[in-house]
Amino acid sequence: MDALLTKIKPEVDTVVQHTKKISGSESLLQSLVEEGVTTLFGYPGGAIMPVYDALYSYADRLTHILVRHEQGAVHAAQGYARVSGQVGVAFATSGPGATNLVTGLADAMIDSTPIVCITGQVFAHLLGTDAFQEVDVINTTLPVTKWNIQVTEAKDIAPAIAKAFYIARTGRPGPVLVDITKNAQNEKIDEVAYKKCDGIRTYKHKPILQTTQIDAAAEFINNAKRPYILAGQGVLLSGATKELIAFSEKTGIPVACTLLGLGAFPQDHPNYVGYLGMHGNYGTNVNTNACDVLIGLGMRFDDRVTGNVSKYAKQAKVIHIEIDKAEISKIIKADVPVHADAKEALNALTEICNPNNFEVWIETFRKFDAIEHDKVVQHEFNPKGEELMMAEVINHLSNLTKGEAVVVTDVGQHQMTTSRYYRYQKPRTNITSGGAGTMGFALPAAIGAKLGAPEKQVVAVIGDGGYQMTVQELGTIMQYKIPVKIMVLNNNFLGMVRQWQQLFHEKRYSFTEMDNPDFIKLAEAYSIRARKVTKRDELQEALKEMLDAKTSYFLEVVVGKEDNVFPMVPAGAGVADVILEAPGCIK
Amino acid sequence: MKQDYTLILTADNNFSVLNRIINVLNRRRVRIKKMMAHELEDDFRRGGMVLLLFTTSDLMEKVKLQLEKLIEVDEVIVQEGSAAYLEKSEQIVDVD
Repeated sequence: MDALLTKIKPEVDTVVQHTKKISGSESLLQSLVEEGVTTLFGYPGGAIMPVYDALYSYADRLTHILVRHEQGAVHAAQGYARVSGQVGVAFATSGPGATNLVTGLADAMIDSTPIVCITGQVFAHLLGTDAFQEVDVINTTLPVTKWNIQVTEAKDIAPAIAKAFYIARTGRPGPVLVDITKNAQNEKIDEVAYKKCDGIRTYKHKPILQTTQIDAAAEFINNAKRPYILAGQGVLLSGATKELIAFSEKTGIPVACTLLGLGAFPQDHPNYVGYLGMHGNYGTNVNTNACDVLIGLGMRFDDRVTGNVSKYAKQAKVIHIEIDKAEISKIIKADVPVHADAKEALNALTEICNPNNFEVWIETFRKFDAIEHDKVVQHEFNPKGEELMMAEVINHLSNLTKGEAVVVTDVGQHQMTTSRYYRYQKPRTNITSGGAGTMGFALPAAIGAKLGAPEKQVVAVIGDGGYQMTVQELGTIMQYKIPVKIMVLNNNFLGMVRQWQQLFHEKRYSFTEMDNPDFIKLAEAYSIRARKVTKRDELQEALKEMLDAKTSYFLEVVVGKEDNVFPMVPAGAGVADVILEAPGCIK
Repeated sequence: MKQDYTLILTADNNFSVLNRIINVLNRRRVRIKKMMAHELEDDFRRGGMVLLLFTTSDLMEKVKLQLEKLIEVDEVIVQEGSAAYLEKSEQIVDVD
């Protein structure tokens, strides 16, 4: 027996000699490389130092962008993911580093953005002891992640990363957080081949297309007199733009887009009828309550789309095509639920739906467009006053870029104005914070968007309030010479809140007026070329200069202080109660 | 109208899975009257939970779908009334 053991022992030693030992941190970075990650955003700190030490040797494979705040990292990862369709990655340390990710995680959760955040955590033996920079990150981020996991042993890092990427990008995409204790980052383990995740027993992300549901939907569509498609981000996530065009062209059904759906259907298409929602077009809102078959496609009937649900599309049969089963009938009861990926459902429907055209029905949208043009658009594009209006600025931007730039917006009046007047022609060119409405999103998201699509013109359109929430990311733009274009529409107000105060709170402007710094000097302090425009005759030339710049560029456009965004579905009103001007014409 | 519902759930027995389940119910402000959680007798990597809830049928239906969406959750069964809760919880106690 002893002899046998002696004989076996040298063989074991030989095996050990040939097995390379790596740290948990190296295992993490190898896993990211295996998942196809090339660019990531982060900020180091005590509990993630072993990962950053390993990263020093991965500079040839992983480009790490040092942001100026962890919120910047997560929004940049979102911008990168939204524009490229790849999973965005962000690193942060424990405690405040991790909690600074929370806003971005919540934003990615509600806007279905695939990102993976890696956070360092204190040593496993210190968990739960209120150690320095220890926060219970798992429970903190639990409601704002699609999935999260804490890893305390190095051997579990690679499988956790594989699972994280699989969950983030499949089904309805979303954010995943992997929290790794410092001992796991340091621990040495045998190097093993990376195995991508190809399935999780309890996670059924791809619904099987049900013929009965498709047949039922087709029957409603074939018998409809005034059918209407509301296209959401699900079309973009599914890569179903061509399929949507094919379906709309065969059936003749008009298409409107939600805020996140903008770009899913070309705006110069004859079947495109406009933008939906609280500040959407007049006809798209009013005709929601005139259609007979409403097809919600890859969207979730958000309250900014529906207004008062008790007054929403009561006359219509509702077909809801959605990959996330929990969204079907959550807000608006579906007469025909179609639990499916948008592309698969559209292919199936296009095959069995009858050719048709609804020119008379589409003409009703055009009549509403004419009213909207008379009451709103023409005044905004050709204002009589000297003050610049947000709408004319965005109209020029849209014309000069032919609707083909990637436009990243923040939250507020400038966002709604851009959504109304920038004529998006292509998928993944509209990057905005939709569901969460995160002020401070645009500047870091534009950094990510530019790195995710370096060949594209990327323009961040931001209000003066939101700009100052993450303005420190100018440092990131400076350090890495990221040629994003930044246009701040400055009205020295938190404009959307002020608009509500004007319309619904008797013009009591409670804490919405802002004294701003010299934005030009601020940009120049970061070595960013900058220009300020206050007059109409300078605007187009300044926009051209910004767009032609090969480097980053900051353009401040001073706009009217009390410019309002119309049309508007007032809070609590139905979609058909959309207003085109302020009650009593205070506009 | 609100009434009792028994919710029987099986899931992978990962850390934090109980919190995830409770979080879904809390967000929807569903009242939890009673609950028991346990590992499966033959496989500690999986677990089960039985809850007695007091809510409306509409919310019960929506919450069920949101629970099924959780990555670790395997199966969710909903039954009207408390009888199923009493039966299931007695089974769990007997096993222990």
